[in-house]
Parts: sequence; structure tokens; C-alpha cells
Amino acid sequence: MLDQAFEALKTYKWGVDPKAIKAIQDAVVATHGDTASRKELESKLAAVLATDVPRAAKDSVCRFLKTIGTAHSVEALAKLLHDAELSHMARHALQTNNAPEAVKALVGAIEKAPKKIKIGIISSLGARGTDVPIAPLAKALEDKDPEISNAGALALGAIGSSEAVKALAGAKATDENKIAVCDAMFQCAENMLNHGKKSEAKAIYSTVLKIGPTKAAKIAADLGVKACA
Amino acid sequence: MKTTRRKFLSSSGAATAAVGFPSIIPSSALGNADKPAPSNRIVMGGIGIGNMGRGDHGAFLGKNDVQYVAVCDARKGAMNQAKAKTDAKYGNKDCKTYADYRDILSRDDIDAVHIATPDHWHAQMIIDSCRHGKDVFCQKPESLTLGEGSLMVETAKRYGRVVSGGSQRVLQDYRGTVLRCWNGSFGKINSINVNVGPMSQPCNLPPENQPDDIDWEMWLGPAPWAPYNSKRCSGSYSTSGNSWRSYIDYSGGGMTDWGAHHFGGATFAVDVRELQPNKVVLDEKDGKKFVSLKYSNGIEITHNKPGVGQMHVGRDNVQREGKEVPKYAGSGGISGDFIDCVKTRNKPFRHIDYAINSMAVPHLATIAYKLNRSLEWDSAKQQFVNDAEADRLRNRARREPWQI
Repeated sequence: MLDQAFEALKTYKWGVDPKAIKAIQDAVVATHGDTASRKELESKLAAVLATDVPRAAKDSVCRFLKTIGTAHSVEALAKLLHDAELSHMARHALQTNNAPEAVKALVGAIEKAPKKIKIGIISSLGARGTDVPIAPLAKALEDKDPEISNAGALALGAIGSSEAVKALAGAKATDENKIAVCDAMFQCAENMLNHGKKSEAKAIYSTVLKIGPTKAAKIAADLGVKACA
Repeated sequence: MKTTRRKFLSSSGAATAAVGFPSIIPSSALGNADKPAPSNRIVMGGIGIGNMGRGDHGAFLGKNDVQYVAVCDARKGAMNQAKAKTDAKYGNKDCKTYADYRDILSRDDIDAVHIATPDHWHAQMIIDSCRHGKDVFCQKPESLTLGEGSLMVETAKRYGRVVSGGSQRVLQDYRGTVLRCWNGSFGKINSINVNVGPMSQPCNLPPENQPDDIDWEMWLGPAPWAPYNSKRCSGSYSTSGNSWRSYIDYSGGGMTDWGAHHFGGATFAVDVRELQPNKVVLDEKDGKKFVSLKYSNGIEITHNKPGVGQMHVGRDNVQREGKEVPKYAGSGGISGDFIDCVKTRNKPFRHIDYAINSMAVPHLATIAYKLNRSLEWDSAKQQFVNDAEADRLRNRARREPWQI
């Protein structure tokens, strides 16, 4: 059944019944805890990504790798990150891949990525939340393009570390990135509060109030200051 | 006019100046922030205005204390129909139409929005709305994944927004059960069973010619790209393949669609709305798999337990002290509850915290069924206990350029 499903991937265009490849999903579940079988399955899936199977097939492979991907499949996924059609689904798999290689692949793809894809990669790094280098996100925050700057801000907010706060506090808040920068700083402050660091959180809210927040952000900052009392 | 993210996250009020409207009370004169309102009218816009959105539009439009000013939908037909209905109500042409919801959020004169898009948009729109200082009424199921649920709760709290979920059935459909649970006549309650399904399925429908009526990119939004197919985006209430409610990228299927009502009713009846389960036990009886979701206070919600009826409550029937059953504020059902809370800044009946806690039940059950094993859930950390693989299913990457 599994072999047939992999064979079906070769012609898995939009319109083909998903039952044709269901055996792969079943294998994803069945191999839980079986390292050798998992690795074999992951290798076979990664190999498919290097072939000229239809887009729907590669989309599905990325979905399977979202659950079982390790460092082993990162290289195959990384090659798709600059592909306008497949970048999102490659991120779908890489965003939750625990291997440090996945972070390295995402970070490595930022620089040369077209704008829209760059925003997606930055977003995925932020969504990982931990073990992500701050420097590339801080660089994005400083980008002249406000959409990239906003993406960098929100990713830093999602990470919420002291280093992220430093980058955000040092950024030039403009009318075009202010909502994202303030929101990111709020997320950092909440992270500080959750770790009992009231004075650090209060300092962040004070910084937000100094940069001339929007009406909504002013309300949020005031609420934050109260939470620090 | 297409709103770019650059413009959307801009803090200038240019969008308001460009729109301009006669005889509408400005947001600043209402109870949106920290000032008492000189008028009771709440200025509203609607996002996703077909199907359930049509009903919500009608409900809010019918309220004397609401001034309805804007509609947005990826389908022109639905949007224009809603504009016509709004203009007819007020006898003017003032209702504005938008293909992009961010144009509504950029209007400083709008206090609140209601959202009735497919589920894959809910988190993005609720979070963006809060960041722009809007109160929100969002149709159920409020979340598509576990991860986005906690982000919605945090953002609503951060900005001090009134955010209400939209299941009217939670209070209205299970009155008998709820009353007996709350008035003490059921005695000590141990469990409640919910029968609902199916889970959503992968979608690989063939491409069809895209009608001019629909903005397909906006319909898909943060969901993975896929070719247009009428069944893929149909708002039919079917969960068997003829609507977006059937498919993983847009919905949790019947499990979350009707499940939002049933699990919402169950968590209300047994009063665990402030909690999330900490154990998800996959079991089997009579050859059928079912899940038991256990709470730290000993309560258990079972899903599809063989031989057990819908909303059946496990109890000892020893009368104990009762407590008052919560009800809607204001008048006019759940939409009236929301409007009243926008004015008073109280928590609505289906406050986003309660909505997300109840939605966690079907999301957790779904992951247990998909992975075919029992799980432990740390609700404080919002992660599974020692199960990195299950953790991967808490979130999905958003299609660029969408980000929350």
C-alpha cells in the first residue's frame, strides 16, 4: 500500500482523490517511536521533493514532513524556500521541525528571498519562538520597506526575549511600523511579566508611551503599566 | 482599493479622512476607550457577510444602538447585497464596501466589527482588529488551531478589547441540561458526553473556472494556495465534502463546526469554561475509538463514547447547593450581549477566553485521533507534555504575507 501511495504521488495533480496517498499518512502515524522506519519514510518523502512530481504532490509531502521531519529532510525543503509556489508549504514543514538545521535553513534563505517570501520566512522564525538568532530579525526590523520591518517587529515580539526587546527599543518607530513595533514590545513585556520581571516589563511599557503610540496601543500600554504595579 | 500591509499597520488616520461620512457619531464620542459615551450608538462594520455573516449583519443592523457603516467580503455579490440592505435600512448610500478587511480596521470611526469568514481567517482578523482598537464579535468556531487560540486571548486582553465568540446555541440549546447542572439537582457531576463529527479531511479538488465575483487570493488568505473550486469555498453547512467546512485547511470539520456549539454547551453545563483539559485519553469500546478529556478538577468530557447519549451527564443525583446560571447582558440574544458589553466593557457571555477554552477540547481530541494515541496537555504552557510530535500540530505556517 505504501509503495502504491508513493507511486501515486508521481501523478498526484489537483483533482486526484486524496485516498490515493492516504497510506503515507497512515505510515506517518504507524512509525511513531520507530526511528529506523521513520528515517526511511522521511528519506523517501524528501527524495520526492527533488523530482518533477506535480505541485499538489509536493504540497502533500510537505504536510507529511511537518509531523516527522528531522535534520534529514531540511536540505530538500530548504531548496523550495525561494520557490514562489512551494515556499509556504516548505515553511509549513520547517517551522515546526525541531532540528537546529531548520532554523539555519530559514535564516539562510532570508537574504536572497523576494519580498513576499522573505516576510513568510521571517514570520516562521518568529513562530518558532525559541532558539532563533535575533540579528536577522533585527535587520528586517530596520529594513526600509515597512512591510518587512513590520514582519521583523512581529517576529521579535513573538520571541519576546531581552535581546528582542533591545532590538525593538533601538528601532526607529515610524507611522508605518508603529502598530507592529508597539505590539511586539507588548509581547516582550508580557513575557517579562510571566517571568516575574516587573521592572523590565514596566520599562518596556514606558518606552512605548514615549514613542507616541496609537490610541489602541496607548490603552494597551496603560493596562500594562497597571499590571506591573 | 487594496490595502498594503504598509498602509494597514500605519498609524495615520488617513483612511478616515478619505472615507468621511455624514451624520455618523465619531468613535471618539462613543464608549470605545475610557470616556463615557454621550450616545449609545456603536459604529460597526462587517467582515465576511454571506451565510452566517448575513444573519449577524441583520442582527446588528436591527439594533437601534448600532450604526452600521461598512461591509467587506471576498465575494462582490454578497458584499453589494449587504450594502444595499444597510443603505435601505438608513435611507442613504453611506455604507462603504471593501474587498480587504484591513481597510475597515484602518477607519478610526469604527468601534467594532463582526467576523463571519471561514475559520482559517478568524485568528488573523481578530488579532488585527484588536491591534487597531476594535471590539469584535466573531462567529464560531473561533479558532482553527490550538496555537492561534492563545494568541487571540492574549491580544484581546492586551488591548482591553471586548471580544465575543458567536455560538448562540451554547446558552440556548442545552437549557435543560445546563439548568440541572447549575441548580444542583444533578448533584456531583463527573462527566458529560458529546457526540459530533466528522473531522475535516485533506482537500485536493480539481481546478474550476474562477467566477469574477470572488477575490480568490483574499478568500484563501493565510491558508495554503489551492486552485479555485466551488465546493472548496462553498459556505454550505455540509461537512461531507461540499463545503469549506469539510476541509483541513479551512475548518476542523463537524468536530469543530457543530462541535463549537456542543463542546461549548458541555463546558458551560459542567462549568469548566475557565479551564482546559490536561489529559486526552484515546480509548476503544465495541471496536469504536473515542476520546476522554480530563480536567484537573476531576470532570471528564467524552467524545463519541459508544452507547452514551448526546450531552449525557454523569452524576450522582444527590441534590447539592445550586448557583445562578449566567445569562446574556442587554437584549437581543448573543449579539445584544456583545453590544451591551461594548458599552459596559464587561465580559460577554462567550468571552474569547471561554470560547478558546471550549475550542481546545475538539482541537485536542482531533490531535489525539490523528496521532492515534493519548496525550497530556499543559494548558499553562500551551504545549503537550513530552510529546514534541504532537506539539507540531498546534500551529500552521501562514501563507505569506500573512502573519499574526
